[in-house]
Amino acid sequence: MSGKTTGTVAGEQRASLRRRPFFWIIAAVIAAFALAPAIGNNVELRESLLLATVYITLASNLNIMLGYAGYINFGSIVFFGLGGYTCVYLISAHGWPLAAAELAAGVAVSFLALVFGLGILRLRGAFFALATIGINEAVQAFVSNFEPWGGAAGLYLPTTIFKPLGGPMRALWVVYFLLVAVMGASLYLSYAVKSSKFGLGLIAIGQNEDAAVVLGVPAPLYKALAYSLSAFLPALAGGLYFFKSAFIQPSDAFDLNLSTEAMVIVMLGGRSTVTGAAIGAYLYEELRGYLLTSQTFSSFQLVISGALLLLIVLFVPGGLMGWIYGRWPRGKEVLE
Amino acid sequence: MRKLYLLAAVAALVAAPAFADDMLTIGMTLSQTGPLNVDSVAQQRGAELWRDEVNAAGGIKAGSKHYKVRFVTYDDQSQGGRVQQLYTRLIVQDKSQFLFGPYSSGLCATAAVISEQYGKPMLITGGAEAKTLELGNKYLVQVLSRAGEYLAGAIRALESKNAHAKLAVVYADDPFSKAVAVAARKLAQAGGLDIVLDESYAPNTTDFSAIINKTISASAEALVGGGHYADGATLARQIHDQKANLKYISLLVAPDSPQFASLGDAAYGITVPSQWEVQAAYKPDFGPTGAAFAKAFAAKFKIAADYHSALGYAGGLLLQHAIEQSGSIDADKVVAVLNAMDVTTFFGRFKIATDPGHHGLQVAHEMVLAQWQRKNGRLEREVVWPKAAQTADLIYPLH
Repeated sequence: MSGKTTGTVAGEQRASLRRRPFFWIIAAVIAAFALAPAIGNNVELRESLLLATVYITLASNLNIMLGYAGYINFGSIVFFGLGGYTCVYLISAHGWPLAAAELAAGVAVSFLALVFGLGILRLRGAFFALATIGINEAVQAFVSNFEPWGGAAGLYLPTTIFKPLGGPMRALWVVYFLLVAVMGASLYLSYAVKSSKFGLGLIAIGQNEDAAVVLGVPAPLYKALAYSLSAFLPALAGGLYFFKSAFIQPSDAFDLNLSTEAMVIVMLGGRSTVTGAAIGAYLYEELRGYLLTSQTFSSFQLVISGALLLLIVLFVPGGLMGWIYGRWPRGKEVLE
Repeated sequence: MRKLYLLAAVAALVAAPAFADDMLTIGMTLSQTGPLNVDSVAQQRGAELWRDEVNAAGGIKAGSKHYKVRFVTYDDQSQGGRVQQLYTRLIVQDKSQFLFGPYSSGLCATAAVISEQYGKPMLITGGAEAKTLELGNKYLVQVLSRAGEYLAGAIRALESKNAHAKLAVVYADDPFSKAVAVAARKLAQAGGLDIVLDESYAPNTTDFSAIINKTISASAEALVGGGHYADGATLARQIHDQKANLKYISLLVAPDSPQFASLGDAAYGITVPSQWEVQAAYKPDFGPTGAAFAKAFAAKFKIAADYHSALGYAGGLLLQHAIEQSGSIDADKVVAVLNAMDVTTFFGRFKIATDPGHHGLQVAHEMVLAQWQRKNGRLEREVVWPKAAQTADLIYPLH
């Protein structure tokens, strides 16, 4: 009986999500990502947007822990890397098709995150942040010495691996569309979590964990679930990304820089907002891409991007969404 | 009316092709930032010297046309993350007809997917790892010797003096040194050397006394291995201090640095594999001699050329030769010539494997083996192997 009631509530919740404009805004973003490079076969735009989808996926999922639950996770990249390794390994050593390898990577990494989470989520604040760095380093050290995964030299995929997807030219398109789908799923996940009771619990934990527990929020379980949930889609993105690269090595897979970048993106866009993480990621990627390839700025691209970040942190501390809401308060009704 | 002129001018600017038809565009990424910066920039300088010399001489002649060379480069930040995006841009937007690979094997592996996808030949001048070339690619061309070859010269030189020497293989536990040691072990066994000790050490080891004692008690006559500068230099010094009385020592990387001479007596007689040394006296089929290259390089950049810069130059030179021979800049025709080429430049011999499973793998270039010898009381590196490049005889035995 209670199950039926819960089911009905969830059903109503889903229906109400669809009625809100933000649901359709996400749909429009996904469509734009999928169509923009496909029209006119614009490969260069695709490559640039491809990195943006990865950044948006990483930032949106990090936002579940960092933005909603207020837990600073420096090691979010470990999910991306492990997903990449699991997927590339299953394809190269066992000949699994991409879809099966992807699914296995997502499930395995989420489960591992749940186990890690139950262990380290007893820690709070700086100690939790340090533990997440530790996990990343420990996993990297393990993989560097794990011979089936190629040890420090990494795993290589032959170009023939793209044949089932119609050769390298088509395979890169397929991978791109899949990454757009993963990005879309990340946005919907972030939105669904935010609109749910579960998300409310996480936000309560983020504001005052002790008070939340007193009010009946099962904090340890919620945190572990959030940690595990935020691992699934980055693992899929990692699998696709390294499949496309046809090569994976520990220093690329567990690059702490990418973790830090994802945090910067969330702060830039505005914590605990779905839109902020997405726009932050998109702008960040486009800015870095532009500076890197610009004839004028390429020599000092790091200086410029550093200075810009500093200015934003100093003068727009609420992030992009904080700034938008400050000028357009009604935006809160449309954007999440 | 003025507006119309302005519009027309803008339209003309946009419509005019940025470069005339007789321009050959070569695209590459380099590590302007990040840990690979030093080696990557050295390689790039070599390539730039080649480009400037070619353009000064009127360009590359293909059939009846002369092509001036232009480079398009982007910073890959020493990371694989953007390599595919940048190589796609180099091909699609910048219209590169040929590519030079990025620096380091990992980045080359990632770039290879794009070169293959678009059928653009990519000359690898900074990736020794063979795996990328064993994946069935058709447009990769490796200019340098692969990682497994690093100690090949050292083993052959030893065999030439003592075919049944008792050998100790002592190497750092890092991927490069490991790969080199695995290959060295196979070569030594195939050649009939007797491996009496096979030991790895942590890369940050500072005390080698236990390993050296084992070497002595195994009565090893020769030792090959090492890793990078710090451990290699310490190992050499302690071998000398503990009077291991080895007849032959070959270490990776460390003795290639001029700093190594500061070890004094401990440096004497130690050999080091190198992709290229300025003394290597190859007789080039075309292009400059090693000495002429080194002189031009020093004049242009005010620093001495190392093997990375030699590689950058050699990559350009080989591509130029292939284009001139094929008389066209058509990718497949140029690759066909590269496949058939068996030539010697100042950098050494060039010939690639052409079977589908190993296409592009360098099979002819030999690394040279340099030895620290005394010349007028000063320690200097002399090339002792292969015979074709020799500037002095190998000193053997050391004790």
